[in-house]
Amino acid sequence: MENIILTSSPTTPYFPEVSFDIDKGICEIRGESYMEETYKFYLPLINWIKDYIKLIKKPLVLDIKLIYLNTSSTKCVLDILEILKDYEDDSGQVKVNWYYDKSDPDMIDEVEDFEAESGIKIELKEF
Amino acid sequence: MTSKTILSYKGPFYIELISVFGTNIRNFNDTYSNARKKLFKIFIELSQNVSNYSENFHMVNNVQRIGVGELFLKELDTAYCFTTINQVKRTDAEILAERCEIVNASDQMKLRELKREQRLNSPGEKFGARIGLIQAVMLSKNQLEYKVENINENFSYFSLTVKIDKY
Repeated sequence: MENIILTSSPTTPYFPEVSFDIDKGICEIRGESYMEETYKFYLPLINWIKDYIKLIKKPLVLDIKLIYLNTSSTKCVLDILEILKDYEDDSGQVKVNWYYDKSDPDMIDEVEDFEAESGIKIELKEF
Repeated sequence: MTSKTILSYKGPFYIELISVFGTNIRNFNDTYSNARKKLFKIFIELSQNVSNYSENFHMVNNVQRIGVGELFLKELDTAYCFTTINQVKRTDAEILAERCEIVNASDQMKLRELKREQRLNSPGEKFGARIGLIQAVMLSKNQLEYKVENINENFSYFSLTVKIDKY
């Protein structure tokens, strides 16, 4: 297993920055997410988390710092949260932090929906 | 009532174009910042519907399918009005019209329920979450206006307008 580091580019602002670090046990997704073929982008991230749970079996923190994600991306994020919820139910240590811009109240509703749909606790934090 | 066209476009809905248009809409001035945040989200969502589902499309390198359609963004005294138009199968136009009616008949709480239900039951992968229309109404708190214009026995133009209040 290797870390995943994806940097952003001003020419493709619809791809988020990604940092998934095995040693730290921290997964961070930052920026905006509204690319085409969303699932193709998120599938390696989903597989990384599945592998981490299967092979590393240590605590995992997910930090989401997305100022915008389209509805296709929300489906992929929900998939990730469901995997983490299963890990937690299986005695894994998981923490999910969602950073939001306080001038964007719609994001708080979105996070509440993610909590309800996945069943995992999400800590809301202001940027 | 004054009405000013901010943007109009007809052609393939490439992500690069959608992104540049959307970013400019969000950042073009400092006024009505909350409305413009909502407008940006609705703009991206509905434009990507055209890109993904229009029956008139371009093929890029024989692999990638990019939907062709039209968009119009107008600024009124108290609101922004965003319209997309694209070609759909006549049978799909009926389904879309029915979805718009369901969404328009739902209050915010019901919309939230529909959104959760639809997202959980979506097959995912290339199908996305299938909640774009619901999201547009939840964000704007205004009903969808739609129009169907038949082209021939197989296809129609489907036009969708969302109003985003400035205040």
